[in-house]
Amino acid sequence: MLSGAGIREIDRAGRKILRQVGVRIPDESMLEQLRAAGARVDAGSQRAYLPGKWLDEILQSAPSRFILSSRDGKSDVHLGEGRVHFGNGGRVFRVRDLDTGEHRPTSLRDVACAAALVDRLENIRFFIVPCQAHDLQPGDYHLNTFYRAFCHTGRHVMGGCDGPEDVHQIWELAAAIAGGRNRLRDRPLFSVITNLISPLTLDPLVAETLRFCCRRGIPVTCAPAPISGATAPGTLAGTLAQMHAEALAGVALAQVFAPGCRVLYGAVPATMDLRKMEFAMGSVESAMLNAAAVQLARRYRLPIYASAGVSDAKTPDVQAGYEKTLSMLLVALSGADYIHLAAGMLDSGNTMSYEQYVIDDECAGMVHRVLKGIAVDGEKLGLEVIRKAGPGGNFVAEDHTVDHMMDEFFFPGLAVRSNFDIWEQEGGPGVAERAREKAREILGGGPNEFLDPGQISAIRRKFPGIQDI
Amino acid sequence: MTDLEELRAAVLQGDADAAVSVARNMLDAGGDLAKIVNRGLIAAMDEVGERYSRGLFFVPQMLRSAKAMQACMGLIQPLLKGDETSSRGKVVIGTVKGDLHDIGKNLVAMMMEGAGFLVADLGVDVPPDRFVLKSQEIQADIVALSALLSTTMPSMPETIRALEEAGVRGRVKVMIGGAPVTEAFAKKIGADSYAPDAGSAVQRARELLGGS
Repeated sequence: MLSGAGIREIDRAGRKILRQVGVRIPDESMLEQLRAAGARVDAGSQRAYLPGKWLDEILQSAPSRFILSSRDGKSDVHLGEGRVHFGNGGRVFRVRDLDTGEHRPTSLRDVACAAALVDRLENIRFFIVPCQAHDLQPGDYHLNTFYRAFCHTGRHVMGGCDGPEDVHQIWELAAAIAGGRNRLRDRPLFSVITNLISPLTLDPLVAETLRFCCRRGIPVTCAPAPISGATAPGTLAGTLAQMHAEALAGVALAQVFAPGCRVLYGAVPATMDLRKMEFAMGSVESAMLNAAAVQLARRYRLPIYASAGVSDAKTPDVQAGYEKTLSMLLVALSGADYIHLAAGMLDSGNTMSYEQYVIDDECAGMVHRVLKGIAVDGEKLGLEVIRKAGPGGNFVAEDHTVDHMMDEFFFPGLAVRSNFDIWEQEGGPGVAERAREKAREILGGGPNEFLDPGQISAIRRKFPGIQDI
Repeated sequence: MTDLEELRAAVLQGDADAAVSVARNMLDAGGDLAKIVNRGLIAAMDEVGERYSRGLFFVPQMLRSAKAMQACMGLIQPLLKGDETSSRGKVVIGTVKGDLHDIGKNLVAMMMEGAGFLVADLGVDVPPDRFVLKSQEIQADIVALSALLSTTMPSMPETIRALEEAGVRGRVKVMIGGAPVTEAFAKKIGADSYAPDAGSAVQRARELLGGS
């Protein structure tokens, strides 16, 4: 997306912002900690200024590669090794009911069902606690939503937390499941999402949450979500410069708290449609910003918590199709390690839809096929088989075709490929319908529990706040 | 161009300095206040509104024109007689306690000002009693609450309760908004109105105060 010169210029601008404008953290003790670590602090304006040389020294300890572990050991996420992983996203509060098609507030059961669904979708490689459980009291949210995530999927679990007490509870829960705190540190089953507020502001509670995670070896991100034209300049380069400053500040702060801690460079940039000030996460520019963000993170050899696959469409329709595919492809081609929001999201990230998870899984499959590329070697070139078939021959039943077909072709489960007459005879099916059927099939008997009964009763004894669904 | 045409052009272009300069010249020359306001400023804003609804003006342009108009009103206001205030209503707005997000709230405040409301913006992380005190101080017509985090939404019913306890609730209309806020939630907590975005917030505010 960006040329080498573009990356350098934006990086330079981002560093200038950190040096000259700084980040505001309205918390004396945090500012003091930064000052003690070598940053320049102005107590009056509550700003921390991060000079370039200091920044480079601090960032040296940030690891370029680490693993986000899966509970079942089968779907570890290897960051920093050039692999691309798609996953879903959080902060959803509305769901498209799978049976009625109606939109309703999300519940704890939706967290469990989304986890169970993701567990069976091959291309969705990690699970972010997707939504609010409106049927619970706010105090019980985190414990219950994370428990359901651990219970119903073996994938690595990530989620947002509102404060250090919340993370503490989840940390204890995860340690109980992992078999102790040390084992959890070695194989982190969960990680935490925190966010800065653009422009250039860090909530003290967020800083405390970040510190809690860093000190206990819980992988974390402190991700800016600047909106071009609203909370960031109304130009893409300006938005990137500010986002880059914010993202680096997050990683630097994490390293101040615990040098060497596992932290992802976070980026959730988007645009505002300036005609009516509508949030446009599905815009082409949002896709471009996210692709460019990957390049900026890679300049510092940091794994990136990237974003793609959100549409502003309210239903799994044509707009959703093209907006999602565009961003998923662009961000994946940029080489992002960890692409979140890429499954199930609609309505600018406010709504989730079960059939959309299934559709996005297929999209992700297509994108992975692009990443795999075209293999060119003696075997693939097939000169032998071409010679054998000769002019006028065909390749349908050749060994060569059968030998390579599983490797060469992505076989989508949803796309309609039958010829027109057959399609009509079958009642004119479409992708959304087929996705709904598949989702219903997977969720048919209700979400299965993965933890064994002994573990479950031990955990429920230890954490009485956990509720049934 | 006549003075009036120049004034309208400056407001249309969102050039506050030029607009103020022309307005000042007109005032110095003894121009008629009502004419300057109605055929200069209001006429220009009507044109702005017209262009906006046809998609020819975007929100940033509309807001800059509104700022230019307000800058001129700043000159003219002191010259108007006491009962000729041009405020459509008085609004106290803020992001609720525990929440530092403000872009949505800022947009609503800007658009309300642009539409002629007097807006007292309390900023972010505003506890219930600050909303109460400000409402009492300026005799607000509307109290507008914003939240981006679902976890801070409970501050909204708390603020309504605080208004009730202070005996202010009956004198104000409460309007709420923010990404996770819904019509259903507004009804549940006894708010008077809910607006899904900044443009509708202005519309709802007008409706709440009996205008349109």
